[in-house]
Amino acid sequence: MTRRAASAVFAVLALVGAASLAFAHHSGTMFDDKKEVTLEGVVKEFQYTNPHSWLLVDVTNPDGTVTTWGFEAEGPSTMMLRKVRRSDFAPGTKVRITGHPMKDGRPAAAWTKGVRLTDNTEFYPRGRGQAE
Amino acid sequence: MAAPRVIGSVSCAVVLAAALAAAGAQQPAQPSAADWQRKHALGLQHRTAWDLYLALRAAARGGRQTPPFSQLPDWTGLWMQAGGSTFVGAGPTGIMPKLTPAAAAAVKEGQTLAAQGISYDENLSDCGPPGFPRWLVIPFLREFVVRPEQTWLSSETVNNVRRIYTDGRDHLKPEDAYPLYYGDSIGFWDGQKLVVHTNSLMARSMGRGQPTQSERMETVEVWEKVDPATIVADVWLYDPAVYAEPWHLQRRYRQVPNEDKALRMNYWNCVENPNNEVFKTPDGNTQYRDFTFTPADDQRKEQGR
Repeated sequence: MTRRAASAVFAVLALVGAASLAFAHHSGTMFDDKKEVTLEGVVKEFQYTNPHSWLLVDVTNPDGTVTTWGFEAEGPSTMMLRKVRRSDFAPGTKVRITGHPMKDGRPAAAWTKGVRLTDNTEFYPRGRGQAE
Repeated sequence: MAAPRVIGSVSCAVVLAAALAAAGAQQPAQPSAADWQRKHALGLQHRTAWDLYLALRAAARGGRQTPPFSQLPDWTGLWMQAGGSTFVGAGPTGIMPKLTPAAAAAVKEGQTLAAQGISYDENLSDCGPPGFPRWLVIPFLREFVVRPEQTWLSSETVNNVRRIYTDGRDHLKPEDAYPLYYGDSIGFWDGQKLVVHTNSLMARSMGRGQPTQSERMETVEVWEKVDPATIVADVWLYDPAVYAEPWHLQRRYRQVPNEDKALRMNYWNCVENPNNEVFKTPDGNTQYRDFTFTPADDQRKEQGR
């Protein structure tokens, strides 16, 4: 698999028997927990905010256009407990990121796993059980 | 948005619904069936929460009000709830709460909607207060500030503080009382246990898929630190609009590792980040409003959607 910077890597598959993600602030029904999307791109911004954090990632599509995807996780206290700190995803960081996409097709997902490609460090903002 | 190129598949195991409470902490032991049964029976022996509170106070020979700091337990640190979030599930012995027909219907409706993938949180979606007793089961960080004259039980979820007055004051007179999100709580110390009575609660949802509590809801809690990393709350719920007979549950709070002290309680504001704004759809589901990072949404916004 090519790991060219900002190249799009996309995979969606059904997860038989998948259980619902745990969401505390609001329901997570806008996300499809039976599907998973994995993309490679470059961090545009890490919004480390309550009650949810958003990692914005610029992904280059096959036609050369760029789509900004938003990956949603819990707020800073949970992120720190999951060993995901703001400095781990500085703007410009190359990442491979995985989550459950939105049902309505907008480019956003419930973030379950991130790999920082500069050193292949893995991050699990919802715990390893949600992403393996 | 151009369609991304599908170049392969990934393998993954079944996704597990790991509870947030598991973050950084082991799951503590649950109460034994015998212990739960004994406490459940204690609730049934008393017609009202106030009767139970008075019985516990008598058993503590009046309890202690405004004890010196030196006699108070150390509840410092950061804590998270470890355990379930339901008020209508079975106890350790398998006994189910006896719900009123209205409460049972509400639970069934919630289950039906959940099976259809429909859910909306009437309280938390726009950072409204979770209220009490839902406060007992919400996730995220908590801090407990124990002082002689009052104890503050705080939670990061929508910035709340419950004040438990232990200075000998009484509740407001019934004719002067008014509904409160977290109710009015008074208590006493029985050794290292904090015993609390709460009334003046507001009629509102007890949580997603849970019944609606009434203003007649009153509760008794007994809080105790049972080991260096665990605080246990035994809770008795009395609300004739929800429970045909009193219900007992136990919730445990585990201390969160924070060796470098980088972890702090932070303020919540649902409009701090526009990407967190959600709304209730016509079919009763939860949906995000416009994202700041999607041009399609921006176009709809400009069109006055």
